[in-house]
Amino acid sequence: MLEIDAIEVFYGDFQVLWGISLSIQQGEIVALIGSNGAGKSTLLKAVTGLLKPASGTIRFKGISLDKEPPHRIVALGVCMVPEGGRLFPEMSVIENLEIGAFIPQVRKFKDETLKWIYEIFPILKKRTKQIAGTLSGGERQMLALGRSLMSQPTLLLLDEVSLGIAPMMVKSIYETVKQINQSKQLTICIVEQNVQMALKTAQRGYVIETGRIVKHDKANLLLGSKQVKEAYLGLGSMQGDA
Amino acid sequence: MPFEIMVQSLIYGIFVGSLYGLIAVGLSLVFGVMNYLNVAHGTLLMIGSYVSYWLFSVYGIDPFITIPLVMASLFLLGSLLYIGFFSSLAKFHSEVRIKNSLLVSFGLMLVLDNVAILLWSADERTITTSYSGMVFDFLDLRFPYVRLLGLCLASMTILALHLLLTKTYFGKAIRAASQDWEAASLMGIKVSRTYLVSFAISSALAGMSGALFCLSYAVTPVIGEAWSIKALIVVILAGLGRIGGVFFAGLLLGLVESVSVFFVGASYQEVVGLVIFVLVLMFRPQGLFTR
Amino acid sequence: MTAKLKNRLLLIGIVIAVLLILPMFIKTEYTINLLLLVFLYVSITQSWNILGGYAGQVNIGQSAFFGMGALVMRLLWISGLPAYLSLLAGGLSTLILAAVIGLPALRLKGAYFAIGTLALAVIMLITVGNIFPGVSFLPGKYLASYSLTPRYYLSLALMVLTTAVIYLIVNSRLGLGMIAIREDEEAAAATGINTFRYKVLALGVSAFFAGLAGGVYAYYQASYYYFTPFELIWAFEPLLIAFIGGTGTIIGPIIGAVCYVALRELFAITLGEASVIVFGCLFILVILFLPGGLIEAAGKVSKLLVRLRKGPHKI
Repeated sequence: MLEIDAIEVFYGDFQVLWGISLSIQQGEIVALIGSNGAGKSTLLKAVTGLLKPASGTIRFKGISLDKEPPHRIVALGVCMVPEGGRLFPEMSVIENLEIGAFIPQVRKFKDETLKWIYEIFPILKKRTKQIAGTLSGGERQMLALGRSLMSQPTLLLLDEVSLGIAPMMVKSIYETVKQINQSKQLTICIVEQNVQMALKTAQRGYVIETGRIVKHDKANLLLGSKQVKEAYLGLGSMQGDA
Repeated sequence: MPFEIMVQSLIYGIFVGSLYGLIAVGLSLVFGVMNYLNVAHGTLLMIGSYVSYWLFSVYGIDPFITIPLVMASLFLLGSLLYIGFFSSLAKFHSEVRIKNSLLVSFGLMLVLDNVAILLWSADERTITTSYSGMVFDFLDLRFPYVRLLGLCLASMTILALHLLLTKTYFGKAIRAASQDWEAASLMGIKVSRTYLVSFAISSALAGMSGALFCLSYAVTPVIGEAWSIKALIVVILAGLGRIGGVFFAGLLLGLVESVSVFFVGASYQEVVGLVIFVLVLMFRPQGLFTR
Repeated sequence: MTAKLKNRLLLIGIVIAVLLILPMFIKTEYTINLLLLVFLYVSITQSWNILGGYAGQVNIGQSAFFGMGALVMRLLWISGLPAYLSLLAGGLSTLILAAVIGLPALRLKGAYFAIGTLALAVIMLITVGNIFPGVSFLPGKYLASYSLTPRYYLSLALMVLTTAVIYLIVNSRLGLGMIAIREDEEAAAATGINTFRYKVLALGVSAFFAGLAGGVYAYYQASYYYFTPFELIWAFEPLLIAFIGGTGTIIGPIIGAVCYVALRELFAITLGEASVIVFGCLFILVILFLPGGLIEAAGKVSKLLVRLRKGPHKI
């Protein structure tokens, strides 16, 4: 569904991504893990159109994304939950959700989608009129996720959803993510520093280090691999190998 | 009776204040949404005045009836100005946007003001209709019809704008883009179009202000700068946020100015407003009417 | 001292020497006048530059300080105080103004600081316009003894002084701190820099030199409205000049001022009435197409030339 082929991405003169290639099939959950600054968020920005690759291609369902502006990419069905949520701080919960359904083709189904969101995140229904800037961290992330789901995406990108959220909440959010993937056949890409959570939720994973993909395997195999364990799970040779 | 004179003065203060509020809302819309400081905003008011004046003196159409036409033409002009001069600034972040938009709009002001002088000369123009002098008498107080109608129209327009911003999808898009334009584009909002329309609406508001202005005052090609300044003062007094607050701050400024005439005389009335403004800036820099 | 520095100082010395002896050879007042203006613009732009270009606090109300220096200098001078003392008093009064209105303004961040300074400039303009609405005429005896040459030297001296001070500051710890604040204020604070104190210092220096520049203006102009030096154009011009030349550089304001004055004169001479319109258009074009100023443009051109010379291989 999503095909990224050898893209190189720069911030000004500074190269961040080097020849990144990956693919995501319909209906699967893919994890993209790596430490801070490895380039994960940059990759998502390239997919969603906030950054343009200097070379290489990004194709979604065969359509080339690398020249499209962000709002058109959303209309094609690719939606991202940005790092930190990026809610509209002075708008209420329901207004944030409504904005999520901005694109014309989903606007007419807004009420039904809203009902569904309230079912999976009941707390949002409770706080419907509350101003987004006053929500707690976990509630904010749920609202961000709900808002992105309002645009009825076919590919959902999650950027560092676990940042600053309590572990119980993270677990709950990712369980919900897995449920949505199963019930709606929604293709999902998880970008995370929380390697455990990401690889437990996903079926496949890519490991990215300093702008390059260094490993690619099934999620459970990655979780068990010595390399990943040492680099990301803090389980060094002191603790024994896989 | 000095008391009656004072109340009469207050009433005129509200009338002038509604103009202040209207012009300020336009400026705050652009500044709030895209962080552009449009110093040529007052010049747009001036152009609105002239359009209204020419429609009246050449075609004899009543200036109140031509208001929608004036607004439409300024909407168009604003769109063209945005596309030509301001759209390329959108790629910068906030501080650079302010600096650059200030300079660009200043250049525009120089150009437009002087083109206006060449086209229309520096003579004063004002619109006098058959009902210009008519007054509505109530409790021994005079309410000139022209000003009263102006106040009503200004208030209704602000209300309409408020409804647009809160009840329509496009209005919500404007608010979203003003709070976080990247996130807005991730929602499928075409931010460039949102900016364009916001700028155009702002120009239309300036046009309406101009049309109302011309009915009660004399217009010359150079009034733009003073009105931009007035708008800026009101915007900062109110703080960024709800347009109702900005409009109200305009009314307040009008009131303050008219009251201070009694205490410091006509030539210093502006200074009193400014002193208050400095105090607000020092002790509540985010403005009087923000959260 | 490195060879490069020696060469640079030599070059600067030559330029200054030339400027010093120029009035002896050029007798036309017109050229001297023009140069005087260039020096004045350099001074006011350098003053803006220290706060706006180096400390990163974009200030769009420099006219408040420029005007204040002019006002105080003029009032004192006309009432009998010697010109140079009046000039100094003008500069000091600007410091007081900076303390009163600038300090609270510094509490504002970024965009709000910018509009706050503009608002303050507007207040000064309107207030002074109300309190001193008339024209400031030069008393008879001053008019009789008016000579352009000392004013030329004064303006030149101020330009050299301002540029030298900025140079010293920028290359000191103070300057390093300011640049750190410009790049990332939070990070700078985290490394222990007292950001508020540095900003205050930058503001003080900026205001002082703007005030001196205003004083020079008041000394130079025969008659003008008291509110003229407070007009907003004096706030926008340093911005534009720094823009043209390149903000955050020492030579930028100099290049910018030369270009600005030269172009303005050119248009005024050749175009007459329409000059302001053409000038406004140029204003707009510069900002839209040369966002980094001439220095950045020059840098890009030289990079391009290097690349062309070295051929198609990657450098």
